[in-house]
Amino acid sequence: MIDMPVEVVVALLGWGTLVGLDLVSLPQIMISRPIVVGAVAGWLSGDPATGVTVGVIMELFALESVAIGAARYPDYGAATVGAVVASTGIEGHGLTGIAVVLGLVLASVGGWTLNRLRHANATAVRRREASLRAGDPLAVEALQYGGLLRDVARSVTLSVVAILSGVAVRTAPALPDWAASGLLMVVIGGGLAGAASGAIRSAGRGRRLRWLGVGALLGVLLLVLRS
Amino acid sequence: MKAPLWRAFLRLFSVQGAWNYERMLGIGMGYAALPLLQKMRQQDPAGYREAVARQAEFFNAQPYLAGLALGATTRAEYQGVPGEKILRLRTALCGPLGALGDQLFWTGILPALVSTALVMVAFGLAGAGLLGFLVVFNGIRVAVEWWGLRAGWASGLEVSQVLHKSWLPKAVALAGPAAGFAMGVALPVIGGWLVADLDRVVMAGALGAAGIAVVMARVNPRVTGLRFTLVVATVILLSAWVGA
Repeated sequence: MIDMPVEVVVALLGWGTLVGLDLVSLPQIMISRPIVVGAVAGWLSGDPATGVTVGVIMELFALESVAIGAARYPDYGAATVGAVVASTGIEGHGLTGIAVVLGLVLASVGGWTLNRLRHANATAVRRREASLRAGDPLAVEALQYGGLLRDVARSVTLSVVAILSGVAVRTAPALPDWAASGLLMVVIGGGLAGAASGAIRSAGRGRRLRWLGVGALLGVLLLVLRS
Repeated sequence: MKAPLWRAFLRLFSVQGAWNYERMLGIGMGYAALPLLQKMRQQDPAGYREAVARQAEFFNAQPYLAGLALGATTRAEYQGVPGEKILRLRTALCGPLGALGDQLFWTGILPALVSTALVMVAFGLAGAGLLGFLVVFNGIRVAVEWWGLRAGWASGLEVSQVLHKSWLPKAVALAGPAAGFAMGVALPVIGGWLVADLDRVVMAGALGAAGIAVVMARVNPRVTGLRFTLVVATVILLSAWVGA
């Protein structure tokens, strides 16, 4: 049983679908970034603070990969919705670790579905090859709308799976404390490592690397001043 | 021509809507080209169909800069440029528009603004940080996309020179260091924020795990933070279930 009001589930389903579409197809306005997805999903679920925390951790993982063209990358949109559903409304960080692990699994599955979608689009293109060569505008429009509809179906399905898995994790028997703490350690550590590796890799050896170093020094200074 | 240009601009928001391994952005480009080719449909129906076929051919570039190629090639269709030459122009633009766009947006502006938002979250300004990120990123994106479409449409075959002389290479040179700096600031700040209310053992464990994962990624780049986390989490979960 889903232990959330129907309107919240419907809103989360709509949000998961929107951010799934935003990743590549339409309109790519970056609402699919996990930090945005998490904050809005948390707000919809009535627990914005947890949404932001989960979104931040998922964002660290997302910063490691660059979602460029033909590259394969995880889809963190609906995955972050699932992670927020799994951890929302719970005191403290008891479920944050397992919720983010669920989110990472869902993100990997989402990346796989994106690859399948691209193959399905290619099959549709091959079917209409003759019309495309003849310059039929209706064929172009049909392929475009077909691609968008397939992505809507992909995003809705992913969102349903994400919400149901989130509820399942939340209502499952509690993990022992050591396991919950261990998962929290590894998701924070893995996320920070992912973002750091992404930053170092994209910095190369030139000017950008020097600016990364300067920024890191300033970041540590800010951290010290705050504590 | 302003209304068709606007319609093409709006259609560019879904330029990756039918992304596929055969033609990549080709179908989306063909779809966005249709309003611009509308006038040709009445004047030269045969030429129109040839132009539609060309515009839906293989194309790949950073999506926010695709408008530059769209504007230039559709203008070339009206200028009576031979089809072969238009296709060569399309192909020639893929590389520069992909490289410049990826460096400007995907590895420049985007990580710089996301990192800034992360710092603002850590300082208790989550709402302003996220809203600011979306507004600034999309403000830049829309302005660049509109500039690209108009510049391409105005220049036709001369688009390569326009691109070379434009502000884009300079912006790319600035975006990289800005992203490096912002990510450098964000990582320690957001790391500190995440572990601030954890007990000392969990805090030490998280930072230790981060250190191990970074070293492993340096030794073997295939060990990403995602893979490291999923493997260690699987071991923890299996141990917990076996123990139970």
